[in-house]
Amino acid sequence: MDPEKQQLSDNGISVSLTPSPLDITSTITTVKNPAAGAIVLFAGTTRDNFAGKPVKQLEYSSYPPLALRTMLSIAQTVKVKHGLTAISMVHRLGVVPIGEESILIAVSSPHRQAAWKGGEEALELCKEKVEVWKLEEFGGDEGGVWRANRDGAVGVSLDNNKGEDRP
Amino acid sequence: MPEKTPPGHFHILYFASASTFIGKTAETFPAPINLEDLYDYLEGKYPGIKEKVLNSCAVTLNLHYVDLQDVGAHDRESFPRIVKEGDEVGIIPPVSSG
Repeated sequence: MDPEKQQLSDNGISVSLTPSPLDITSTITTVKNPAAGAIVLFAGTTRDNFAGKPVKQLEYSSYPPLALRTMLSIAQTVKVKHGLTAISMVHRLGVVPIGEESILIAVSSPHRQAAWKGGEEALELCKEKVEVWKLEEFGGDEGGVWRANRDGAVGVSLDNNKGEDRP
Repeated sequence: MPEKTPPGHFHILYFASASTFIGKTAETFPAPINLEDLYDYLEGKYPGIKEKVLNSCAVTLNLHYVDLQDVGAHDRESFPRIVKEGDEVGIIPPVSSG
């Protein structure tokens, strides 16, 4: 059990935020259904570099009630659009050690094509909309950088507030 | 949610680059205030924040995204223009989930 986990559920849908390590097996189990012949799982893991620059540590923060609401809305949209049987999305918060999962998305559907497509669309919408922010710490004098998914590479440097940090 | 907002005030939450710039994650200000005036109000408190942070941010009011400028055409019930006592405002920088 995970007492700090925050979760919203709907028919065949589960979305959650947690500071604990993500559990791949239980995420898959959540979407398993005898009517579904396909399950697709996406696991996003934390990288050890940004554009070649070594990243020492990553930390995620969130606006939990809004992020959960956005995740639920994405899940509902994607489930209907692709005729999915079930969908589960979980994002980890706080410090995530390099190489560990920061997000898991599992979808199930009667056949594989809908699962592939639905899973991909759910991830892209998450990265575009869900109110979670990643702080990359590079170590040394530089301080941290708030990454932004939009435009790929824009971020705001933590220590000097000089604005955009383009690698 | 955060601790109780004092009477006559609203709550404002800062995330990511906004919280870093300001040096805190939340505070309260006297209500009411027009949404149109919110960024100027914050600029007065934290000079430079508009250009460096707010111009790339979105704003939520009680967990709903709002337009700071009155774009008209909406009914005032669903799209309020004023931040009232007890409301919760969120300053939302570009997200980086995943």
